[in-house]
Amino acid sequence: MSPSSPELLAELRAALAPIRVLDSPFEKVLYARDASAVGYAPPGVVCLPLTTAEVQACVRIAAAHGRPVTPRGSGTGLAGGAVPLNDPVVIVTTKMNRLVEVDEDSRTAWVEPGLLNLDLSRQVAHLGLHYAPDPSSQQTCSIGGNVASNSGGPHCLLHGCTSAHVLAIEVVLADGSVCVLGGPEPDAPGYDLRGAFVGSEGTMGIATKILVRLMPNPPTIRTLLADFASIRDASAAVSAIIGAGILPAALEMMDANCIAAVENFAHAGLPLDAAAVLLVEVEGLAAGTEIAASEIVAQCRASGARAVRVAATVEERMLLWKARKSAFGAIANIKPNYYLHDCVVPRTKLVEVMEKVVDIVESRGLIVLNVFHAGDGNLHPLIVFDRREPGVEEKVQQAGKAIIEACVAAGGVLSGEHGIGLEKRDYMALVFSAVDLEHQQRLRDVFDPARRMNPEKVLPTGSWCGELHHVPEGAWI
Amino acid sequence: MSETLMRTVLGLDPDKLVACVSCGLCLPHCPTYRATEEESASPRGRIALMRAVEAGELAIDEDFVRFMERCVMCRGCETACPSAVQFGALMEQTRVTLGSQRRIGSRWMRLALKPLGHHRLLLVGSSALGVLQRLRMIPMSVQPRLGLPARIPIRRAPLGPLSDRPTDAWLYTGCVMDAWQRDVHNAALRVMAATGANVNVPDGQGACCGALHVHMGMGGDARRLAVRTMAAFPGDAPIVVDSAGCGAQLKDYGHLLGTEAARVFSARVRDVGEWLAPRMNTLRISKRFGSVVAIQDPCHLRHVQRAHLPWRIVLSAVADTAELDDDGRCCGAGGSYSITQPELAGSIRDTKVEAIRRTGAPIVASANPGCSMWLSGAGLDVRHPIQIVDEVLHGP
Repeated sequence: MSPSSPELLAELRAALAPIRVLDSPFEKVLYARDASAVGYAPPGVVCLPLTTAEVQACVRIAAAHGRPVTPRGSGTGLAGGAVPLNDPVVIVTTKMNRLVEVDEDSRTAWVEPGLLNLDLSRQVAHLGLHYAPDPSSQQTCSIGGNVASNSGGPHCLLHGCTSAHVLAIEVVLADGSVCVLGGPEPDAPGYDLRGAFVGSEGTMGIATKILVRLMPNPPTIRTLLADFASIRDASAAVSAIIGAGILPAALEMMDANCIAAVENFAHAGLPLDAAAVLLVEVEGLAAGTEIAASEIVAQCRASGARAVRVAATVEERMLLWKARKSAFGAIANIKPNYYLHDCVVPRTKLVEVMEKVVDIVESRGLIVLNVFHAGDGNLHPLIVFDRREPGVEEKVQQAGKAIIEACVAAGGVLSGEHGIGLEKRDYMALVFSAVDLEHQQRLRDVFDPARRMNPEKVLPTGSWCGELHHVPEGAWI
Repeated sequence: MSETLMRTVLGLDPDKLVACVSCGLCLPHCPTYRATEEESASPRGRIALMRAVEAGELAIDEDFVRFMERCVMCRGCETACPSAVQFGALMEQTRVTLGSQRRIGSRWMRLALKPLGHHRLLLVGSSALGVLQRLRMIPMSVQPRLGLPARIPIRRAPLGPLSDRPTDAWLYTGCVMDAWQRDVHNAALRVMAATGANVNVPDGQGACCGALHVHMGMGGDARRLAVRTMAAFPGDAPIVVDSAGCGAQLKDYGHLLGTEAARVFSARVRDVGEWLAPRMNTLRISKRFGSVVAIQDPCHLRHVQRAHLPWRIVLSAVADTAELDDDGRCCGAGGSYSITQPELAGSIRDTKVEAIRRTGAPIVASANPGCSMWLSGAGLDVRHPIQIVDEVLHGP
């Protein structure tokens, strides 16, 4: 943490307002990390702009002082993407949180980046609409952050991730200029730069306004909870459901450790003696969901489910989702620290990889919770630990590396929805060749030739000349 | 090394402090985060700051104190936290430490809390204030800052009806509430009597619960008041409370004093809604309340006592009710918070008023005197829910 120059601070304060430019030691601690255990770096200065023009001013002033910029939303990221490295000006979008306008007929809305995901759905609920991507942190995470990490969520199995729900983005680029990527048309002419920007994790600019697609609320929803005596049976049921031609809205798995942690908080009546549960949801017209629900019950039973419960009321359904979506937050019921993975593997390899993950973690004397989007093979092994125990962090890191290597070996990828950030940056070479990485860097350079946007994230620094940096010493907390 | 040397800067329990995983799920449930959208005003942020101080990374300064004082202590974050972080305990201990160093709580605020334990003096003083208010000798501009109700009672009806038979239940009457809202106590006494219970109030009545003292970091005063309050309720009859803030404090005596007697005492305490819900079938209800009632849950009922649901049973038996859509977020009253942090408290109240207006209900039920005075100040018609039951049973 180095003190920012008085000129930089004075210019930022003049451009915004003195109280929205933070540089006291306590303020810096507050913006030094995200929700992951990856990286900790108190920034020099934190700005809280209210408008696109203010974001532009911050970016321009930072550029004039040769300082990089790190954008930040709600700070709920899980890959260290918002950790301020290289002493940047941090631009926080939390105060830009208005729903600007809703077009009810075309079912779209312009929103500011700091608007919380669930707040958006609540604010359009009276129109019978909602915003479909629903990360587990949806009550807290912002739409801008979702765009940056192309976030997923349980219901992305049917509806697709963030990118499928973002039509256009107003972006402040690294030189302070503004452009709009994409447009309201179903197929905007020219290159899909909107598509390139979604998931760029703040390395291509800052989204200051987003045109999102809104979905009509489904006429009926059926939510089922299937209880299994083994993870193998539960995984078989996942394949059987998809194999039967059903595409559920969501298809989630939780293992015994996870069930114990969340039930303690949510009191959703989850079976504490189950090895795994599947949470399955189907939506659509009443006739269709009835047929799909009974087929799912049959497939679960055939795969060895001990019991299948259908949520009878809206309250029961909400409680089941509350349990599922509180999984990461609930881990302090077991140990106070976590390292959460986000690999995607082919669905057919689920059982094999799951067993390997459990073996990797448990052979090191660590505890793993498994909670994941089974329907699309997106694993979330959650290693829980107490960093006050000597030597444990090293073991966690080794296990983490082994998990990633096992997933990649099974034909998987590094990240399903949390992004690469700082955490998986140095693993990029496991899945991309030097040529691939060089072209990704070139794309990034088109948006940010001076490489000042969110430095040290996503791409291994200097990968084009074969040089790999490692996560800075002490960055692991 | 001796125990005292081992003591950390803030004296926080390290296991409680480490339990926060920084997931941020508490943020949208925190009224001050919603009002500011800044980490420093969030539960996750406050814990990060406590950690920085406890780890010796940063020394306590004005910023730290300001960030700790901005917490309303509504404990909405505890309801939202999947890891059950005991944020209230961490914040209370932090304030006790800051209070013992005279870093929080102005001298006049401390002085203002002193008479709360002397009930006769308080009643006389309150009536005198009421007279001054009628004579327009208290400038209108300072009244909201002092947290005064629009019309301080000069005379109060006697508490009743009371029973001369063996006590089935006590009504806890408190300090300021008895001076300013005795009509709520009397409504509670009438409804409790209508269930057939023999109800009494303690000798010497008042005996302040000490909740405000805890908020101000005055731990010693709070413990002294707790011991006195416990002595005022002999026997094992339930202690019924019609102030959610006081009820939460009485239920916490077991933890505050750490004695078996205090734990037994705390176990006897019930919010009046909790006490009444299973007894509703003993009431003869022949009509319904004239208008829709919006239910505003006081934080100390919903997040601390977690006893807000019984009021649904009670109120739905006598009135059409409407729920707010804000997940039970705080109204900003927070004991003396509306006096110490008027700007933030006002902004938090604006959000609450909007949520209440969205229900369209003309009347709001709130089971805590602080919330009801604070919301009345925004021009809403606020009643204690027991007053609504009383009106249905006994007329206006």
